[in-house]
This record gives sequence, C-alpha cells and structure tokens, in this order.
Amino acid sequence: MIESLSTLAAVGETPVLVQAAAGVLVILVMLHVILGGCAYAILLERKLSAWMQDRVGPNRVGPMGLLQPIADGLKFILKEEYTPPGVDKVLFMLAPALIMLPAMLGFVVIPWAGTLDLSTLPFGLGELIGGDGWKVNLIGADINIGVVFLLATASLGVYGVALGGWASNSKFSFLGGLRASAQMISYEIPMGLSLLAVILMAGSVTPYGILDAQRESGWFILQQPLAAILFYTCMLAESNRTPFDLAEAESELVGGYHTEYSSMRFAMFFLAEYFHMITGAAFFALLFLGGYSLNPVPFGWDLPAEGGLGLILVQWAVMLGKTGLMVAFGMAVRWTIPRFRFDQLMRLAWEGMIPLSLLVVLVTAIFVHLGLEPWMWLGSIGCVVIVYAVLPFMPRQSNPNRRIAMVGSRFNPLREGDALPPRPAVAISDAAIPDPRQGPASIH
Amino acid sequence: MTTSTLLAVQLDTYLPVLLIFVMAAGFAVVNIVASHLIGPRKQAAVKGMPYESGMNPIEGARKRFNVRFYILAMTFLVFDVEIIFLYPWAVTFTQLGPRSPEGVLFLGRILFFIAMSVVAYVYAWKKGVFRWD
Repeated sequence: MIESLSTLAAVGETPVLVQAAAGVLVILVMLHVILGGCAYAILLERKLSAWMQDRVGPNRVGPMGLLQPIADGLKFILKEEYTPPGVDKVLFMLAPALIMLPAMLGFVVIPWAGTLDLSTLPFGLGELIGGDGWKVNLIGADINIGVVFLLATASLGVYGVALGGWASNSKFSFLGGLRASAQMISYEIPMGLSLLAVILMAGSVTPYGILDAQRESGWFILQQPLAAILFYTCMLAESNRTPFDLAEAESELVGGYHTEYSSMRFAMFFLAEYFHMITGAAFFALLFLGGYSLNPVPFGWDLPAEGGLGLILVQWAVMLGKTGLMVAFGMAVRWTIPRFRFDQLMRLAWEGMIPLSLLVVLVTAIFVHLGLEPWMWLGSIGCVVIVYAVLPFMPRQSNPNRRIAMVGSRFNPLREGDALPPRPAVAISDAAIPDPRQGPASIH
Repeated sequence: MTTSTLLAVQLDTYLPVLLIFVMAAGFAVVNIVASHLIGPRKQAAVKGMPYESGMNPIEGARKRFNVRFYILAMTFLVFDVEIIFLYPWAVTFTQLGPRSPEGVLFLGRILFFIAMSVVAYVYAWKKGVFRWD
C-alpha cells in the first residue's frame, strides 16, 4: 500500500502540485487539439468516403475544402434551435450537454507523451521552474485508477442517448434511444473484459504502468491480438459507428435519438460521437499499440521514456499519429462494412463476444499464473482454436435469416385463410411475436 | 502517512479532472446558449409536430416497450458488477509470483466467482434473452 502511494504522490521528488499544473497545461492543449481534430475528422470522413466511392468530396470552401469545418460550425450556430412543443423541455435541453460531458472527460487519463525533465527546458525556463530535477508526466490527470476511469466515463454516454430519445416525443427518437442504450450496455461487457486481459498482462491499471509493461514485453497487440480485435470492435460499437450505428440507422430510424434535434444541440451529439472516436482510438493506442513507443518488439532500440522537450514533442507526434491512424481505420471500416440487423448485433455481443472475451480472460489468467506472459500470443491463437473446436457442438439457431411470411410479401406471401407458419421458439413470451397476418406490427 | 495527508494526495491528482469537468460543462452550455441567442425562432403548427415522415402522428411516442430491453439491462448489471470486482483482483493477482500457492488460491476463487455468473448467463441464454428475432 505504502509503496504504491509514494509513486502516486510524486514523480521522483516532484511536488504533486507541479504535476497537477502540468496536467492542467496538457488538458488545455489537448482539449483544443482534440476539438480541432473532431472538426477535421468530420472533413476527413467525408473526404475518405468520397475517395472510397470515387467521388470528389467537399472541395469548395477554402483550398481543397479545408475550411469546410469552419463553415459547418458557423452554420450550426446560425440555425434555429427548435424545441417542438411536445417534448420534455428540461430533459430535451439536458441531453446534448449530458452526452458531451462524459465524452470530454475521458481523455484526461491518456498519456500523450512520456516524462519531461523540467530542468532541461530552454529559454531559462529550466532554471526558473526546474526545481531539483523535477520531472512531470505529460498526462492530464495521473490518477491511480487510470484506465478504469476512462471506461467509466465512456459508459456514462448512454445517459445522453437514452434521455435524448425519451424526451423527444418522437417514435424514431424513442426507438433509437432504446436501441442505443441496449447496444451500448451490451458492448461494454466485452470491452471491460478485454481491458481486463490487458490489465492482467500489465499488472497495473495506471496508464504509465501499462506503457512500461509494453516496453518490456512488446506491444500488447502482438501479445493479445484477440483481445485487441475484441476491444476495437467494442470501441466502434460504443461510439455508435457503422457497422453498429443501429441507433441512427438512416434507412429505418431517420436520425435515431437525435431526429428532433437541430442547430447546436444536434451538433453536440455529432461532436460527442467524434470525440468518443478520437478518445477511443487514443485508448486503443495506449492499451495495444504501446502509446508513444516506436518499437513493437521487446528487444532493440526504442524512444526513451524520459527526456527533454524535443523528445517529448517526438513522442507526442508518435502518439497523435497512432491515434489518427486508428481513427482513419475506423472510418475505412465504416465505409466498407454494411450495417448489422438488430438481432444480429445483440447475438454478436451476447453469444459471440462475451463468451470469447471471458475465455481470453481465463486463458490470460492461467498464463499469468504459470509465468508464461511472453507466450500469450500462443494463448490467443489457442482461444480461436478452442472456439472452432467447440462451435460444432453449440446449439444452432434454426435459421436466423429465414423469411417471415407476411401479407403481400414479395418473398413469402401469405394469403387470407392460410395456416400460420410455425412460431419460432422464444421462451420469454410468445405474445411478443406478432401475428404475421397483421403485417409488420411490432418494430422492436 | 496519516489519513488526512493520504486524502489530500489523492484529491490533488484529481484536480485536473475537476477542471476538465467544469470546462466540458461550460463548453456545452456556451454552445447551446449561443445558438439559442443567435438563431432565428419561428413557431408553426405543422413544424411543431413530431417527425413521422410527413404523416400526422399516430398516438404518443412514449408507449410501453418490449420487456426484453429490461431483462437485457438486468443481465448487463450482473456482468458489469462482476467486472468491477475483477479489476482489483487482476492487479493483486499479477503481483503474486508465478506458480505460487497463493496464486492457485486466487485463481480458484475467481474461477468460482466467474462460474457463478456464467450459470446466470447460461440460464439467460437458454431462456432466449439474447434472441431478438
């Protein structure tokens, strides 16, 4: 207990308040970097989708359309902020703020660079604030619960979505909010479990502890490829991105939970999604890509963890580069893979990813107990082998893509007087399954 | 270290979190208030209707919804609470030496703990909680 507290209280001999001041500075800088990044991520997304679909994309505002985000932002502010008469006014106002707040809280526990030696600062600053070789970590808040804080704030986002859907008094919003809540809580479980696999490998929940562990054992994406894939998938699902954007599926739910929103309130939902995406990508880079490290394997040269301003800037660039890469990868996924159906989405989470992530955690725990951490990649492959070995013995669903007989259906028409097709065996309540002769009545 | 200094040390590390909390709330409020003040405002009967693809809305939107969402949330709670307990276990477990007798005890206990929730999970699966078709 005491040992861990001494590392918590100060970095070396550095007073806690100096570290806190550095944290405030990092927050101020990174907040603006990420907000600017959000605006340009939207432009990047539009450009990427244009390139992938052989279009040009936005190119009118400024050179190569580079001023497009500013035009978008101005337009958002100048538009009418309309509150429909039927809405729950307080919750309707509160929801955009409630979705923005947790989205912006998460990034404070992500280390954007290593440890800065204050006495090496140029322009006489080193003598002024350097102290007796004071060193600060380039992180917003070096709190001892670290990554658990990030997970907690990420899952708070569900409040804004659920409240926005409920308050809007629109059926599209309501269904979108319900779906989004169910989806976000479902994918939180495999996310937490695959994070647990990383914590078991690192033996620490603090961001710098995880980074140090990766310097010793190599990046965790090599050690835990399966957990990395699970985590990235959950990250896409948590930020409601295609293929998991069931909550705002344009073709069925118009805008989902933000159907009734306009102007800056709508922009809040949009901005929060991109903020989540950037924080999530940085989180992934921290957990699986070694943060600011450049060398994925445990031997050979790597960037030192501690040094002067030049080194810190290089580390910062490396970390931002990895974050940008993961964001762009998420966009490529979005424009490549079609959207899931809701029952497929739920089955993927509950019948696929949760058992798999439980298995990964168990195998990791056993490997850690046996002291075989460097061989964990074998364990990861072993998990896949186990899944494929067990799969034939699992109960199969009759036919998840069967065609349901409906009146007037092109594929499987049902005429008046026909016998009802057999109902699928669902144990909760048969009443939940509508009479197919009534047409597609129930939407959920 | 006395309790008061312990508390002070931990609170100091949370100062930046408080700052970002205030800044995030400020950001949201300022943006919403700005567009509230700047944007035009007009009311009209049709404009006030909830969006339903141009049709007149049928009944209210806040109806009773499927009980599956509720059951799913209950199942989620089982797992979420379990995961919260697993984090401190993971950190303590890794600090034991490899193949130590305490490690066997730790592993056995947590296996029992996970098995308990897996029983609930299998029951829910068999009951069809995860089938939405």
